[in-house]
Amino acid sequence: MSSYTLFLLLGLGSGAIYAVLALGLVLKYRSAGVVDFGHSATAMFIAYVYLFLRENGTVQLPWTILPHEFTLTGSEMGTAPAMILALIYAAVMGLIMYVLIYRPLRHATPLARICASVGVMLYLQAVAVLNFGSQPKSTPNILPNSPLQVAGITVPVDRLWLAGLVVVLAAALWAVYRFTRFGLATRAAAENEEGAAVIGLSADRIAAVNWVIATVIAGLAGILIAPIATIQPASYTLFIVPALAVALVARFQSFAIAAAAGLALGMLQSEVTKVVSVLSWLPQEGLPQALPFLVIVIGMTLLAKRMASRGEIVVQRNPSLGRPSRPYATTAMCFAIGTLALVATHGSLRFALISSFIWICLSLSLVVLTGYVGQVSLAQMAFAGISAFCLTHIADQLGIGFPFSMILASLAAVPLGLIVGLPALRLRGVNLAVVTIAAALVLDSLVFNWTWFTGGLGGTKVGNPNLLGWDLGVAHGSDYPRVIFGIFTLAVVCGVGLLVARLRGAPAGRMMIAVRSNERAAAAAGINVGRTKLFAFGLSSWIAGLGGVLFAYAQQTVSPPTFETFSSLTLVAIAFVAGVGRIGGAVFAGIMMASTGLFVSFLDREFSIGKYQLVVAGLLLTITAIKQPDGVAANPPPPLVAAWRWLNGKLSSGPLNSHRPVAESER
Amino acid sequence: MEPRSLNPGRESQTREPGSALLSASNLRVTYGPVVAVDDLNLEVSEGSVVGLIGPNGAGKTTAIDALTGYHPLTAGRVLFKGAEITKMRPYRRARAGLGRTFQSVELFDDLTVEENLQVAADHLGIGRALGDLFLPIRGRSREGVEWALSLCDLGDVADRMPKELSAGQRKLAGVARALAQRPRLVLLDEPAAGLDTDESVELGKRLRTMPEAGVSVLIVDHDMSLVLGICDEIHVLDFGKSIAHGTPAQIRDNDDVISAYLGGERVGHVG
Ligand SMILES: Nc1ncnc2c1ncn2[C@@H]1O[C@H](COP(=O)(O)OP(=O)(O)OP(=O)(O)O)[C@@H](O)[C@H]1O
Ligand SMILES: [Mg+2]
Repeated sequence: MSSYTLFLLLGLGSGAIYAVLALGLVLKYRSAGVVDFGHSATAMFIAYVYLFLRENGTVQLPWTILPHEFTLTGSEMGTAPAMILALIYAAVMGLIMYVLIYRPLRHATPLARICASVGVMLYLQAVAVLNFGSQPKSTPNILPNSPLQVAGITVPVDRLWLAGLVVVLAAALWAVYRFTRFGLATRAAAENEEGAAVIGLSADRIAAVNWVIATVIAGLAGILIAPIATIQPASYTLFIVPALAVALVARFQSFAIAAAAGLALGMLQSEVTKVVSVLSWLPQEGLPQALPFLVIVIGMTLLAKRMASRGEIVVQRNPSLGRPSRPYATTAMCFAIGTLALVATHGSLRFALISSFIWICLSLSLVVLTGYVGQVSLAQMAFAGISAFCLTHIADQLGIGFPFSMILASLAAVPLGLIVGLPALRLRGVNLAVVTIAAALVLDSLVFNWTWFTGGLGGTKVGNPNLLGWDLGVAHGSDYPRVIFGIFTLAVVCGVGLLVARLRGAPAGRMMIAVRSNERAAAAAGINVGRTKLFAFGLSSWIAGLGGVLFAYAQQTVSPPTFETFSSLTLVAIAFVAGVGRIGGAVFAGIMMASTGLFVSFLDREFSIGKYQLVVAGLLLTITAIKQPDGVAANPPPPLVAAWRWLNGKLSSGPLNSHRPVAESER
Repeated sequence: MEPRSLNPGRESQTREPGSALLSASNLRVTYGPVVAVDDLNLEVSEGSVVGLIGPNGAGKTTAIDALTGYHPLTAGRVLFKGAEITKMRPYRRARAGLGRTFQSVELFDDLTVEENLQVAADHLGIGRALGDLFLPIRGRSREGVEWALSLCDLGDVADRMPKELSAGQRKLAGVARALAQRPRLVLLDEPAAGLDTDESVELGKRLRTMPEAGVSVLIVDHDMSLVLGICDEIHVLDFGKSIAHGTPAQIRDNDDVISAYLGGERVGHVG
């Protein structure tokens, strides 16, 4: 019995972190209308700043390549001064981030803001990996932790301190925003930005101050958790998921609920760990991580009211859409170019080209979902992973032959896509994004950790695709990667591209675009809005599933890391930056931006800068979200336009513009 | 000059149960404590043009929202084509032949005018839409689209995006989208707002011909000469309550209407 209590108390540690991070998220949303996916990455970075100040008195700057470290004292520092300096650092960093990134985005769409903050998250995490390494680092205790015996159990005193801190912080925030002039001003601005401006409050300055406070609180969270959790870039950054879930429970409004829900989530997770260890028939891996999110996903879907909207002036604008004018001819041309490129390359570059094809496929899944129907999913790679692992089972264990195994495996992602899409019937924008990332995490920790299904860390082997005795596989003897496999991949991707292009002008596509434009009017036009969204989720997850199957064939061994939650975020990021409303954007994302794709591999080979890909992608994502919410492909760089037109002239008699903007730039 | 001559003298008193296309009884709609529509009875018979007028905030838009399923009823029931549709979802009502427009137009900004109409005319279920992706359905009917385009005189701008249209054209495109579905009854929320006098007269003429094409009309508008000119009967709302009901001639001379709605002024100089 007492050990159950102990686990509950131990859970207060992570619970406190979720709670404090969620408090910051609530603050940021209430004041600036931003759901900051980079919040915990900021906390992580501040934790490193604290760590290095304390260990050797150096200050770490948030970039790489350029000098990013300078010496302050040159020797070890006390805990208190290091902490104070780190928090000041956090305040400055918060101010700069607000002014450079979130202020320009104040009137942007929720998706643009999400992508900008995902960009910040990727950037900070990538910089941390490059500058500090991905090994976990530990720090000495900050809070008192002398053992205390109560009723026969050793009470972890530091956890109690942390929980107490959460309560104090939440109460303080509540009091400030309830009673002080500044708090009233913040609330006034949140309710009616214009009104606040009229009575002489600068909504902007209020938001900046709040942003600074939230960043300092995030930094505090990062520093305090360090002794308990050890600092590590990826795991720290992923605290964003539970924190977002907690903030969602608090509807991004209530400090008290955020604090309580955070602590409760931590304790629940910890208790599940204990229960799982006792009940051996439960899945041993991943359940503690997954269960709370499962509860949240289901709860939010069933009970969701809409997140209280802020009275801000938002220019609602979706990413612009392309208009493929001659889909068949364009597809044929792309197939021809792709084949030539496959023959012209060899070795690792050819493999990178094939990877690019697959990333195009995955990006196309987002063109359907985010581009056409305006929904967000941060679980696309999880769908791809499900299909990839299903392929190993369908082909090897059930012995189903090639084209059918591939079709069945890709279809296996559809039910999951539909389930993840269900919340879209009630939630939109940010809420939906949070629920899908929680769903991705459930799949990640529950399904991809299931050794029977995935074959564990080593992964599972996949046989070559074999069409009536004709081996289409990526390797044959020493021949690797083979052209024929590339052509096979290219054909599948071209088929998907054609489908997505035709969708644009087909009844189904029109329904989707109508739903994205205006749900009320869509219903008046006789469109079943909910079913249309689910249809898009289904189609999109099927396309993602195809991508996963192709990955499986290309890599020959399927293993979980390819499909982790971060990959989903990266996918959304590059698809958005490249232009999520058009097929050209997906092509750009796959060829130019994917980390294993052609362009980055080429850069890596020639200049070995591939490791900076995430840094650049994060930076680009944030900048594009601010400067060009339609994506690169909406306004392609002039040399690309010229090359495309030249190719059109060469390869076909008529005009062959696949995208309207290209046509427009000709005028 | 006025299409009033088409008025067959269909008096509201002569309703026979079978001929009512839409009949709403005792509608009551509330926004929290505000009663926006209070005990409204309304009937549109097959082949008629019915007006619903009233001062700003009288509850006209709310009544349309209630009839089309956009806002739940606190009390009352709605029959359409003899069947109860009180609980039916908006898209089902649209498919059943109950079209509507919106006061603020609400076109699909990312689709051309023609696509706006086509998406309304399609009425495909998800299954058929999916099938169409892989095996295109040949020879889909464009009849409704062509008809609506020509009726609203939008043929020249069919390929434009809504953004490129004038305010009047956008309004008309909204009407055309509702018509493209070939509805049995269309509810128009201020179709003439934003049109100039000539355009408004033109619109009136076209609307008057709709019953011949099998489309009955319920029109809400502030343009008195339009409403009085084309309607067979008119309901007047004030503070959510029906204060008068009758032919245009009766409404024009009704003292309650003059005082409540027109603030004492004489009704427009029609006919
Ligand atoms: N979403 C809402 N929430 C609360 N009250 C509302 C809402 N919409 C309308 N109302 C109130 O309901 C009443 C009727 O409004 P409605 O829009 O139906 O009037 P209307 O007759 O269409 O006016 P107008 O001629 O200006 O379009 C008004 O008092 C209005 O203030
Ligand atoms: Mg109105």
